[in-house]
Amino acid sequence: MSLFEARDVVAGYSPTDMILKGVTVTAAVGEIVAIIGPNGAGKSTLLKSAAGQVHVAKGDISIDGRKITGLRPRDVAAAGVAYVPQEQNVFTTMTVRENLEIGGYVDAAGSRDRIDAALRRFPVLGEKARDAARTLSGGQRQLLAMAIAMMVAPRVLLLDEPSAGLSPVAARDMFATIREIADGGVAVVLVEQNALDALDLADRAYILAAGQNHTEGTGADLAADPDIRRTFLGGRQTGDQR
Amino acid sequence: MLDILPQLLVNGIITGTLLAIPAIGFTAIFAVLRFPNFAVASHATIGAFAGYAANVWLGLPAELSLVAAFLVAGLVGVVSDEIALRPLRPYGALTTAIASIALTIVLENVVRLIFGNGLRGYDLPLVRDWRVWDIRIGPQQIENFALALILMAVVFAALRFSRIGKAMRAVADNPALAELKGIDPVRIGRLTAFFGMGLVGAGGMLLGLGTSIDPLTGFRFILPIFAAAVVGGLGSIPGAALGAMVVGLGEEVALLVLSPAYKSAVGFMAIVLVLTFRPRGLLGERAY
Repeated sequence: MSLFEARDVVAGYSPTDMILKGVTVTAAVGEIVAIIGPNGAGKSTLLKSAAGQVHVAKGDISIDGRKITGLRPRDVAAAGVAYVPQEQNVFTTMTVRENLEIGGYVDAAGSRDRIDAALRRFPVLGEKARDAARTLSGGQRQLLAMAIAMMVAPRVLLLDEPSAGLSPVAARDMFATIREIADGGVAVVLVEQNALDALDLADRAYILAAGQNHTEGTGADLAADPDIRRTFLGGRQTGDQR
Repeated sequence: MLDILPQLLVNGIITGTLLAIPAIGFTAIFAVLRFPNFAVASHATIGAFAGYAANVWLGLPAELSLVAAFLVAGLVGVVSDEIALRPLRPYGALTTAIASIALTIVLENVVRLIFGNGLRGYDLPLVRDWRVWDIRIGPQQIENFALALILMAVVFAALRFSRIGKAMRAVADNPALAELKGIDPVRIGRLTAFFGMGLVGAGGMLLGLGTSIDPLTGFRFILPIFAAAVVGGLGSIPGAALGAMVVGLGEEVALLVLSPAYKSAVGFMAIVLVLTFRPRGLLGERAY
C-alpha cells in the first residue's frame, strides 16, 4: 500500500489559474518516485501542494491514509512530511548546526542525536558546523537542506530539484544519499530537470504535462521508451547526460 | 575647543549605549514582521511613564522600575499590534508603517490623558558627579550604562542560545522555510512584538532617567532610533547596537562644530550617508 498518495489534485495560485488539473501520484515506503516533465507541467506545484504551500481546490493528499490536504505547512511537517524547496532552502544567517537545530524544532529532544549523526555522516557539514550557512558552496547547501529535512525523521521526503546547480560528481553523491534515505524506509518524491538521471535513480516515475498525468512506469521502462525519449527526454539515450 | 572632546566622547558612548536598547527593539520587529514600526515612539514614552509610575508612585528603585517599563511597553506592544497592525500586514509594509504612525499618535495621547502634559522627573537620589581628569560623569549615568549593557547581553544570549531566540532568527531569515520546519510565525510575531516593544519601553525609561519625561519623550528619540537601525543595517541586531554607537557619538562630537539645536540633524546625515554609500547598512548581512 502507498504511504504517500495525491489523488486527482487540482491546485494553483489563484482560482482562475489552476496549474494542476487532476494529478495522481503515489509513493510507497522505501520507494523513490521521480516526477518529470516539461517546464510549466506543474511538478514543483505538486510538491508545494503536498507541503501545504499551495491551495488545493480539489482532490486529496494523504500520508498513510491520513488526509493532509489543506493543512498548514507546519502541520504537514508535524504529520511526517519534509519538503526541501529548490531555492532558499537553508537559513543563510544561521550556522550549520543552528540550521539542523531548527530542522528539528518540532522534536528538539529527538533531534539532538540526529544532529550529531548528520554532522558525522556528512563530514563537510561537520567541519563547517559553526560557520554561517551562507559560506557553503551550492552542493554543500543542498546537502545541508537535505540534512535539515531529516532532523524530524520524516516518513515522506519531497525534494524539488535536489541536483540543481551541482557538479556531476556532487549530483551523483546527492543521488546516492537520496537512495540511502529511501532504503531507510522513507518514501521519496523528487522533481528533477535532469530527467535521465532521475529515471536512473527512481523506482517509478510519473511524467506530467500541462498539469495532468501523461505516463507512469518504472524508471527503466520510461527511459527505454522511444516516444517518451523523443518527447520528454530530448531523444537521447539513457546515460548520455553523464 | 578640542579640550572638551574627551567629555563629548564619554557622553557619546553613554548615549549610544542607551540608544542601542530601543534601536535593537525596532530592528528586531523589522526583521521578523518586515515593516518599520514607528509606534516605537509612543512605546518609548509608555515605558518611560510606566517606569515613572513604578518609581514615584510605588516607590520602587530604578532597576525594578525598568522591569515595569519593559513589561508594560511589551504588553501594550503586543496588544496594539494585534488590534491595529497585524490585520494590515497583508497589505504591505508601507500600509502597516503608516498605520503605526497613526497608532503612535493614539497611544501618545492616551499617555497625555493619564499623566497630563507636564514634565516629570524620576525619584532618584541626588548625588554629585564624579570627576576623572577633566571628565564629569554622574553615578546615575554609569548605572544606566551598566543596565543597558546587561540588557544587551541578555538579548544577545537569548537570540544565540534560547530555542525561542533561534526560532525568531529563523523567521527573520526565511519565514516560509521556518514555517515548513514547524515554527508558528504568528506566535513568533507576537513574541517579537512583546520583546521588541519591551526593549523600546526600557530604552525610553533609560533615556528619560538622565533628564525629565513628558508625552513627547519617545517622539524626540524616534529619529536617532531609526537612524541607528538604518546605519547598522535594518533587521541586524548587532548592526542596531553599532549604529546606535555611531549616532550617539556623532551627535555628541558634532557639538564641536554645530549648535546643540542642530544635534538631531546628525541622525538625518547618518541615514543619508549610509543609504548613499552602503545601502544595506554597516552590518546588513548579519541578522543577529
